[in-house]
Amino acid sequence: MQDNTDPRILLVDDEERFRTTLAKRLKGKNFEVADLGSGNEALDYIKDNQVDVVVLDIKMPGMDGIETLGEVKKLVPGIEVVLLTGHGTVETAVEGMRDGAYDYLMKPCEIDELVEKINGAFAVKKERDLRLKQAEDRSRLDKLEKAVRF
Amino acid sequence: MGMHMKRKERAASVYSIRLRWHIIISYCLAAVISLALIAGIIYFEYRSSVNERATARLVSVVMEHKGTIENFLFELANTMRMVTLLEDFDNLRQQDVLEQVYAVLEKEYDFAFEDLGVLDLDGNHLAYVGPYDLMDRNYIQAEWFQDVLEKEMVISNVFLGFRQAPHFIIAVKQTNGQDTWILRATVNAVKFASLVEYVRFGRTGFAYIVSHDGYYQTRSRDGYRVMDHVAPDHLDLEFFEGVNFWELKQDQRNFFRAKTWIKDNDWLLVVEQDVDDIYGELYLLRQNALIFFALGGILLLVLTLMTMKLLLRKVKLIDAEKELLDEQLIQSHKLASIGQLSAGIAHEINNPLAIIGEESGWMQDILKRENMQGIPEHDELTDSLREINQQAGRCRKITHKLLSFSRKMDATIREVDMNQLMDEVAALREREAGLSSIKFIRDYDQDLPMIHTDSSQVRQVLFNLINNAMDAINKNGEISLSTKKNKDKSITVTISDTGMGIPQENLTRIFDPFFTTKEPGKGTGLGLSICHGIIEKLGGTIFVASKVGEGTTFTIRLPLEPSVTVADD
Repeated sequence: MQDNTDPRILLVDDEERFRTTLAKRLKGKNFEVADLGSGNEALDYIKDNQVDVVVLDIKMPGMDGIETLGEVKKLVPGIEVVLLTGHGTVETAVEGMRDGAYDYLMKPCEIDELVEKINGAFAVKKERDLRLKQAEDRSRLDKLEKAVRF
Repeated sequence: MGMHMKRKERAASVYSIRLRWHIIISYCLAAVISLALIAGIIYFEYRSSVNERATARLVSVVMEHKGTIENFLFELANTMRMVTLLEDFDNLRQQDVLEQVYAVLEKEYDFAFEDLGVLDLDGNHLAYVGPYDLMDRNYIQAEWFQDVLEKEMVISNVFLGFRQAPHFIIAVKQTNGQDTWILRATVNAVKFASLVEYVRFGRTGFAYIVSHDGYYQTRSRDGYRVMDHVAPDHLDLEFFEGVNFWELKQDQRNFFRAKTWIKDNDWLLVVEQDVDDIYGELYLLRQNALIFFALGGILLLVLTLMTMKLLLRKVKLIDAEKELLDEQLIQSHKLASIGQLSAGIAHEINNPLAIIGEESGWMQDILKRENMQGIPEHDELTDSLREINQQAGRCRKITHKLLSFSRKMDATIREVDMNQLMDEVAALREREAGLSSIKFIRDYDQDLPMIHTDSSQVRQVLFNLINNAMDAINKNGEISLSTKKNKDKSITVTISDTGMGIPQENLTRIFDPFFTTKEPGKGTGLGLSICHGIIEKLGGTIFVASKVGEGTTFTIRLPLEPSVTVADD
C-alpha cells in the first residue's frame, strides 16, 4: 500500500520563496510536498498528517531546527529528518544527526543532492516500516497460533 | 638573507636617540665626576705631602746652613784666639812674626783672611800684614772696636770701611800680664758670601744673610748687593726662636721662605725656593695624571658607548620583537574581524543565493516539460538558465569557503612527525615540479620532536604554501623546505622559494581574505588567509618575508602542544 505511494515530504524553512519554489520543484520530482514556515506549524502538521521525510532548516526564528527535530522525533519517531544548514552550523547539524536526523546538507544546495538525501531517508524509513509491519504480522500470527492451540 | 621583514620603519626611534643621549650623558657624568674626585683627592693629598717634604727640606737646609756658617765664623774666631794664646804679645807685635802667622792662616783658610793686625787699646796698629797700607789707621771710632773692648771677641757686620770693599772684621782681645791687646783680621766678604751662596738646592733654592739692622751680608737673589739695605716690607726682622717657615708672594714670585737667626741673633739667615721648583715634580706628576685620567676618561667613554650600543641593540631587538607581536596581534585581529564580516556577508547572501538557485532550477524544470519543447528560443533560455545556475554555484562555493574559514574547527589533535608530513605533501607536487625544473631542497632537523597538532589542517597549509611557491617560480628554481626545533617548546617550518618575490606594498595584505594578484576567476584570495587562520587556531604563527626578484620565505612556528583556541562565531 505505502510502497507505491510517492514519498511525503514536509519542507520547513522560514524563507518563504525558497520554500515554495523548492516545494514546487520537488513536486516535479514526484514527491508529495507540504511546506511550512516554522517549527510550531510543522509539529501541528505532523500530528494530523502522514509525513515520511521532513526537510528542516536549522536556522529559524522562534523554535529552531534542532528543537523542532527533537519534538518531531518525540511525536512521531518514525519520521526521517534531513537538516539544511546555513554556514557555521555544521557542528550543530552533526549534533542533530546524533539526535536522530538522517543527514544534513549545506544551503544553498543542488536539487539533485537534496533528492538523493530525501530518497535515502525515505528508503530507511520504508525499510524500517517494513520491518515493523513484519514484526506486527508475526506478533499477530503468534497470538493467532496461541489461540489455535488452546 | 637580505630579506625584508614586513615591518614599518620605527617612527619612535627618536626615543632611542633621546634614551641614548640620556644614558651616555649620565654615564659620562658619573664617570667624569668620580674620576675628577679621585684625581682631586690624589692631587691634593700629594700636594700636601710635597708641601710637607719641601718644608722639611727647607728647614733642614736652614739648620744645616746655620751650622755651616756659624762653624766657619767661630772656627775663624777660635783660630785667632788660639793665635793670641799661643803667641806672646811681644812676638806678635813684631812684623815678621805676624807675617809668619798670616802666611799660615792664609794657607790654612784659603785666603779667607785678607789681612791681620795687632792693635793696642787705643785703636792703633802695632803691627799689620795685608795688601793695604793700614798701619796708621786708628780704629777707636769703629763699632767693632768698641764691641771687642767689651766682649773679648767680636765678628762684625759686613761693611765697606776704608777700602771701599765689603768685608767684616773678626777681633779678639787678649790679656797677657799687664798687656791687653787686640788681634784683628779682615775676612773677605765675597769669600764668605760664596760659602753661603754655594749651598744651592733645587733649581731656585737660594740662601742669603741679612744683618739685624737690615743690610745684606751676602748677595740677595733679586740683585741686591752686599751692604744694600733690604727693601721695605721685603723681610721681617723681628726676632724669633728657631726656624720660621712660610709661603709667600713677592714681586710676582711665589716662593717658600725659611729663616733663622744666627751669630747670636745678629744675622738672619734666609733660604728661599720658588713654589714652581718645589712643585716641579708635582707638576710633572699632574701632567702625567692628566694624561692618565684623560686616557681613562676616553676609555670610559668608549666603554660607555660600546655598552650603550650593546644595550641599544638589545632594546631595539626587544622593541622589534614587541612590534612583531603587536603586528601579529593587529593582523590576527584584522583577520578575525574581516573573517567575521565576510562570514556575515556570506550568511546574508546565502539565502538570496539559495532562492536564485531554486528559481532558476524551477525554470529549468519547467522548460524540460513536454509542452515547453516547442517554444521559441527554448535553447537560449535553457542556456541562460544553466549559466545562472552555474554562477550561483560559483557564488555558493565562495560563500562556503568563506564560511568554513570563519567557522570554528573541530581540530583532531594527533601526534605528527612534521618531517614526514612535509615530505608527504612535497611528494604530491614534486614530480610536477620536476617538469618545470623546480628542485625541492630538504633541510630537516633529524632530532625534530613529534608535535601534537591537526595533521590534515597542517597538510592543507603546507600544500597551499608549496603550491604558491611553485606558482611564484613558474619555471627553473628551488623550493627549500626546512624544519627546526626551537628552544621554547616549538618548532619552525620554513618554505622558501626563489621566485619573483612579493612587493612590499602587497606583503602587509597577503593574509587578508580576497587579496589576490591572480587574474579574476583564477583565485579567490582565500588560501593564505585560511592558512593563517589554521595556524593561529593551532596556537602557532605564520610570517612572510620577501624581496622582489629574490624570493619569498614563509615561516611557520607551531607549538609542541597546541593551545587550540576555540573561537566562537
